[in-house]
Amino acid sequence: MSHESMQTLLNANEEWAQNVIKGTPDFFTQSATGQSPKILWIGCSDSRVPESVITASKPGDIFVHRNIANQFHLNDDSALSVLTYAVKVVGIEHVVLVGHTNCGGAAACLKAAEDAAADTGAPQPDTPLTRWLSPLIALVQSLDLSACSASEALDKVVQTNIITQVDNICNSEPITTAWADPNAKKVTVHGWVYDLARGRIDELVFREAQA
Amino acid sequence: MLRATYIRGPTIFRSLFVLPSLRFPPLRNMSHRPIQTLLNANEEWAQSVVKDTPDFFARSATCQNPKILWIGCSDSRVPESIITASKPGDIFVHRNVANQFHLHDDSALSVLSFAVKEIGVEHVVLVGHTNCGGAMACIEAAKVAATNPSTSTPLTRWLSPLTALVRSLDLSACSANEALNKVVEANIIKQVDNICKSEPITTAWADPLAKKVTVHGWMYDLAEGRIKELVVRDSQA
Repeated sequence: MSHESMQTLLNANEEWAQNVIKGTPDFFTQSATGQSPKILWIGCSDSRVPESVITASKPGDIFVHRNIANQFHLNDDSALSVLTYAVKVVGIEHVVLVGHTNCGGAAACLKAAEDAAADTGAPQPDTPLTRWLSPLIALVQSLDLSACSASEALDKVVQTNIITQVDNICNSEPITTAWADPNAKKVTVHGWVYDLARGRIDELVFREAQA
Repeated sequence: MLRATYIRGPTIFRSLFVLPSLRFPPLRNMSHRPIQTLLNANEEWAQSVVKDTPDFFARSATCQNPKILWIGCSDSRVPESIITASKPGDIFVHRNVANQFHLHDDSALSVLSFAVKEIGVEHVVLVGHTNCGGAMACIEAAKVAATNPSTSTPLTRWLSPLTALVRSLDLSACSANEALNKVVEANIIKQVDNICKSEPITTAWADPLAKKVTVHGWMYDLAEGRIKELVVRDSQA
């Protein structure tokens, strides 16, 4: 029974592929020759935020990196290699860092910060997940959430997280190099928030080279 | 321009390509145009979802319960939800250059931990694809002597395990195309092995009370649009 969902997925892929060929017979053969997306999406792994579905995009449109809580850590080879490849090899023109409401990672960090403040005794275990979230926990601890309800606090953390990750991206080598080079292709960095309850993306910030 | 449209009824979230003719956008200096296009498309999509399933977003906001974790390549041609006609809420996703799962990578490990322990996924699919640029780069890199570690960059460090894998393969009798396919396949198997050795999986498999998790290695053929399963691993129960 447990492989039923896999078979469903594979069947859906087969049906989708057949429909594409019916409408555009050479879509796949053309697609196989290369990619030239203009956008790099750095978003959350959350299943409710599939970038291509919510923007009605097709294969070839968006280069994608998704991780827990849409982080861009300046010491993370995974994110840095994606950004490097996207800017220098693929030639994308826009980097969109996309956070979303009701983010489980952000909620976990709020809880961790509350626990630390309440000093519940046991120290945080050192695991990949706690290490991954520690910059965001630190960010939470730097915010004044005393006057916020639980949901206001979560929204504030989600938004601040987006701005911080955008700052990190703007401080990264691929972006600072591109912005310092008058001959380089123009790259703009955007911070977006996806509202799960409305299905809409809102732009919070964008940054360009200081020309 | 290709547009994804949605048909009514149970298949509301199936994406179909309705294309009378392929038109390319005019070359103009409108640098934010791709962004505005995306935002407009999001607005249109959200409206069509609300029209057909008025409470979809309200329900979606409360929680997620995907059964599948997809670990795939960042390549723009492999958007997991489009090629499997999935809807928001179906698949938890991690995508990076060349669909790697390194056992020292906190990014991938945190996704797997969260997916298995918090979300409760039942299947992990590691998905590689033909014509992978990362794999091609490693085939080239393997032809030259190993680089001086002091000149390493995030990208070269990221691709060094795959470059080592390439060096371990005998590609002498292969055409360029055959070599690339061999590397893509070996890479998928290798990353599946890594996932099976990781703490979240070994722990789940060692615990008779834990939810069952199966690990799959898939290959997406860009030229055909089809996914093929290469390997499946379950706990040795």
